[in-house]
Amino acid sequence: MGKDECKTMLDALNKVTACYRHLVIALGSTSDSQNLREELKKTRKKAQELAVANRTKLTSLLKDKSISKDDRAEYERLWVLFSSSMELLEVDMKRSLEIGQDFPLKVPTRHLIQTGMTGSTTTVAARAMSVQNMKYEADSNIDTTDLRELRSEISQVSQMMEEMEMKVQVAPWAVEAKQEAGAELKSNMSVGNSSVGVISICEEEPKEEEAGGSRDAGLASICAVAGFFVIVAVAVVLGYLVINM
Amino acid sequence: MDAQEARNFGSMLVAFGYIYPLQDHRRLVIKADASLYRFQTPYFWPTQQWPAEDTDYAIYLAKRNIRKKGILELHEQEQYNRLHKWMNHKWDFIVMQAKEQYRAAKERRKPDRVVFECQERAYWVVHRPPPGTVSAMDYGLDRRVDPNADEAKTPVFYERVMIFTQQSIMRPRVKSSVSIGALVKYCATYSSHDPFLSACLPSNPWQTDDVTNWTLNMPNVETPTKTRVERWTFSFRELLSDPRGRNDFRLFLKKEFSGENLAFWESCEDLKWGTAATMKEKAEQIYKTFLARGAPRWINIDGNTMEITVKGLKHPHRYVLDAAQTHIYMLMKKDSYGRYLKSPVFKETLKKAACPEEHKFTEAQLEHNAKNRKPSPSPIILQQQEQEQKAKMAANVDITQVMSKLSKQAKEAPPPRPAAAAAASST
Repeated sequence: MGKDECKTMLDALNKVTACYRHLVIALGSTSDSQNLREELKKTRKKAQELAVANRTKLTSLLKDKSISKDDRAEYERLWVLFSSSMELLEVDMKRSLEIGQDFPLKVPTRHLIQTGMTGSTTTVAARAMSVQNMKYEADSNIDTTDLRELRSEISQVSQMMEEMEMKVQVAPWAVEAKQEAGAELKSNMSVGNSSVGVISICEEEPKEEEAGGSRDAGLASICAVAGFFVIVAVAVVLGYLVINM
Repeated sequence: MDAQEARNFGSMLVAFGYIYPLQDHRRLVIKADASLYRFQTPYFWPTQQWPAEDTDYAIYLAKRNIRKKGILELHEQEQYNRLHKWMNHKWDFIVMQAKEQYRAAKERRKPDRVVFECQERAYWVVHRPPPGTVSAMDYGLDRRVDPNADEAKTPVFYERVMIFTQQSIMRPRVKSSVSIGALVKYCATYSSHDPFLSACLPSNPWQTDDVTNWTLNMPNVETPTKTRVERWTFSFRELLSDPRGRNDFRLFLKKEFSGENLAFWESCEDLKWGTAATMKEKAEQIYKTFLARGAPRWINIDGNTMEITVKGLKHPHRYVLDAAQTHIYMLMKKDSYGRYLKSPVFKETLKKAACPEEHKFTEAQLEHNAKNRKPSPSPIILQQQEQEQKAKMAANVDITQVMSKLSKQAKEAPPPRPAAAAAASST
């Protein structure tokens, strides 16, 4: 059914938008900027493909006059989801352009901000591209070439959004959301079947920033202590038996 | 740069969000001890003046909701509910995006995840400050037109400039010695009553979050404060504009049996400020009650003004009673006002006036006050109360006036009217 396809594609677009935002936030800081630029480029391209696919699907569905009222309401809701995702994407792309220009990589001394983040964003990008491992094959002057492409892509996205506004008459404020307040606390809620798989949300949370890393170490130490006591108990029992024999 | 200047500059950086503190994340200042700060990532800088959208804030609150398992802080919960109400059409998107961003953040290593959360939290402390936080990015409401932007120099603009300058040439001018003298006199009289320039008793509610000052100065309080009563002696206008002062004056005039002047003045104000639909009836009512020959509450204005007013009432408009109102106002000001200030009514009020002690709050008490802030009653309720009171007073006063006239007549022709006498003696 068209609706389920749409929902799956929207889910994917949503995921890619979230990962793109995460990557853009890391831009200009100390975490791994050469690979980050490449990750940004790949994620962006994927987002654009998904966006175009979504747009064609949704416009064809909405232009169809012979659908029922409930269907139409559902498609309008999906349309609002789509346009909000696109707005976020456009904003993030513009911001990545500005930050990318301010923090060039090909200069003798890089001036990156010491934000305290030292790890790489490979896993986030892998999640966005839905692959297991990321392959990096970009050449060294990625920042300048990438920025030129980025400008053209931003103009493409803006154009697409304008066309969308013109072609499809949907009043976004008239859409009623299906989720009530606090819906994010229920796990496993997604628009349709997500290709990522079911991941439960309510995991254990770190207690405070300063004590963050000690939780894993604590578990390990508790296990070690328990094991030690077991061994000592066994030794005591054996010793008792030996003495009594 | 000396240490104090460096600290000020550092505090500015923190207030704008370029650096954020790790402990005590709500106080955006640089402390002189060894507390830790961290640099903010360029995405969250205010330099490029990217607007902090409500959508992003809603997504952040949803993510925080997930992380804290539904237990948000009070101001965050309020904002969450408000955004849920106003951004309902996007709520599906916000929930989806929040979950995806949460899962994306989980992909990173633990220390990086912690840093990321700190960054985002610091960004929103600056752009949506919790109560009690002073942030440099806190500005008022968004406006469609920027008043500081330069205006385009079109012919229309220049026409407006020309009209303005022509009118300012034609304006009547006052000698600066006179106007400055008036300003100095005003400042001297009012400086002890200005809460900015002198201490506000008992304490300034905006600074200490304690509303005693406002409850003591309510429009219809039984015992007004001493400063308020003092203000009534400054000018007749002050007395009339303060509702409590007006009540006092009305009481005094009732004792002197000249309450109709104030009643007429109040009805004229009502006509001037009332709705256009009720104007005609109001004007007729006023004519019947105050101006017609043999009216129950006839006011004493000279023949000229009476002629003008009656002629104008044929085609009533908002300002038709202006001349009569001014006449009565001057009458009250020159005659009754002076007598009022020497009257026992006023002296009684002055004696009973409250002089509250100054509050001395400790830090803990101030915090306690800040937590217990409550919103004031809705203006709709206040308006209803006012209307009820007005209706009650209107019903009350009419009878006394009529009764006093009848009692005067009763001296000439004495039929006993025990009910009337009882009513007159009890009011």
